[in-house]
Amino acid sequence: MIQNENAPRPAARTRGAASGIGNAFHRMMQIRGMGQVVSVTAALVLMSLVFALINDKFMTAQNITSLLRQVAPILIIGMGQSYVLITGGIDLSIGSLVGMSAMMSATLMTHGVHALIALPLTILACLLVGLLNGTLIAQAKLPPFIATLGTMIMARGVAQIVNGNMNTDQITAGGAEAIRDLFYYGKFLGVYTPVWLALVLFLVFNYILSSTRTGRHIYALGSNYEAARFSGVSVKWAMTKAYMISSFMSCMVGFILMAQSGMGTMDAGTSYELNAVAASVIGGVSTMGGQGLLFGTVVGACIWGVLQNGLQFAGAPLALKNIVVGIVVIVSVLIDRIARSDALDLKKLFGRRAKA
Amino acid sequence: MKKVLVLALALLLALGTFSAATAEGNLVYLITMDKMDMHWVSVDAGASAMAKALGLDYKWDAPNAKDNATQIEVMNNAIAEKPAVILLAATDPQGIAKTVEDAQSQGIIVLYVDSPAAAPVPVTLSTDNYAAGKLAGTTMIDELDKAGKTSGKIAIISVNTATNSTMNREKGFRDALTADGRFEILTTEYKEGLAAESQEAATNFITGNADLVGLFGANEGSTVGVGNAIKAENPAIIGIGFDKSDAILGLLKDGSLKAAMAQNPFTMGFLGVSEAYAAINKLSTGPSVIDTGVSVLRG
Repeated sequence: MIQNENAPRPAARTRGAASGIGNAFHRMMQIRGMGQVVSVTAALVLMSLVFALINDKFMTAQNITSLLRQVAPILIIGMGQSYVLITGGIDLSIGSLVGMSAMMSATLMTHGVHALIALPLTILACLLVGLLNGTLIAQAKLPPFIATLGTMIMARGVAQIVNGNMNTDQITAGGAEAIRDLFYYGKFLGVYTPVWLALVLFLVFNYILSSTRTGRHIYALGSNYEAARFSGVSVKWAMTKAYMISSFMSCMVGFILMAQSGMGTMDAGTSYELNAVAASVIGGVSTMGGQGLLFGTVVGACIWGVLQNGLQFAGAPLALKNIVVGIVVIVSVLIDRIARSDALDLKKLFGRRAKA
Repeated sequence: MKKVLVLALALLLALGTFSAATAEGNLVYLITMDKMDMHWVSVDAGASAMAKALGLDYKWDAPNAKDNATQIEVMNNAIAEKPAVILLAATDPQGIAKTVEDAQSQGIIVLYVDSPAAAPVPVTLSTDNYAAGKLAGTTMIDELDKAGKTSGKIAIISVNTATNSTMNREKGFRDALTADGRFEILTTEYKEGLAAESQEAATNFITGNADLVGLFGANEGSTVGVGNAIKAENPAIIGIGFDKSDAILGLLKDGSLKAAMAQNPFTMGFLGVSEAYAAINKLSTGPSVIDTGVSVLRG
């Protein structure tokens, strides 16, 4: 029997706790897209520390709870936009759907329709727009930019016309106070309700994206549409589902805004689609499709919220704010590009122990 | 058959151009900053009411958002329809001045409602925004004195840096408070007049400054946000706002806002169209600047 002296020694993972953590980290980094998530999380922590140093009121419990409530709507629409971005498309109608949802539900509730009827009706209307988006893009093969641009303009028109080109009165119908608490002003275990809503939606839709067939199909068709189609994935239905999920998320944020003001305003949600793209892109969702983790969108939304909140606490003038936000978006995409290219050779940095 | 078709087409075209040429007869065209702010909705309500009363054709158009370049294009489209009068609320006075001159050179009468531009016109109907801002400032000081506050911070939520009217209001407000000297004014937050975003910015001001004693909203959406934030976070803060709407009246009633500077947008539109009628019929249009005024609304 010849001892194979050249056989690889047992991997370092048996050598103790520190190596164990190191290997867990290494395995985590192998998940596609995790690199960006880790780097933006570090950026988030750094940013928060800087803002806390500039104004000590930034890190107070009161501001953190308030800040989380500001992050929640960005996160919710961010998740919807992430689903669509992963399919390789884009949803420009998000902001207008938010406005349409707020105006529709508020108009119904100022005309005596109980919340339990008004809200489901509005959800249905938004899902129909999502279905329209999906059909135009998946069946009629319209470019996503064009199709959602059209629905964006139409939905804003619906938001204006549903109450006769007027903002609504304060909502008074049955369940109005309850809705305002449920979607904005209520607190549960010291945390505002929109945060809980965002958490529940994240858990549900992250599970769908990472662990169900629908999620796998969505990644597949975003990576390589034709290959997915030939593999038997029902690409058209999967794509439509992504757009319907996005419009559902927009609908929820419309309810949050309606609860916040206690009325519907025709301009609600203006430009939200771009905030949603920013949150997704900062979090590592690729605009080319096929890649992105929903947890990245969480971090991206947090960065967006921290920027808005922190820059105000720092007393930054408007021009500086816009420049800072723009730089953050560009840098976060650059980080991903550099990390994936061979320029830094990160594999060497992190992989030295495992290879034998 | 083909010849008949060509002849018919030529006839239609001729008729078309002929009717287009006479369309300028009595069309009054209102161009505002956008179509969603309740302020412009009221201007339109006044304008269309008077147009109906006087039997004038009437049209209202505006960009989707307050943007100077888009407004110039909207005005160019209006000019192409050859109206008799254009009533304009200029987002930026300098930028659109050339387009106004362009319209005038084509025989279109231009009048200003709410916000004038840099080109001269027969009549301007507007609020003196700087004076109104100053009035808001002195009202804020009065309310603070009534509440026994002699120092602290005051914050402003405004629209954007491109809208002349709200920038003038902010300037008037700041000047009034600087003259008083007892309170510190923080850096203004610009939230495009969106109620939800304005509320978040106001909430952040409250969270970030324990000695915040007053909040000022420079237009309708900003004021709704300010009032709602005060109601939810700290009703002791003095809220002063601008414009009038059902939401603002509600906030005044429950004390979240102490006062609102109400312009008279309906009057602006109403009077504007009657001035347009006078101008079309070569009658006297009266003074060249008509201040439609503000009234201080209280709860």
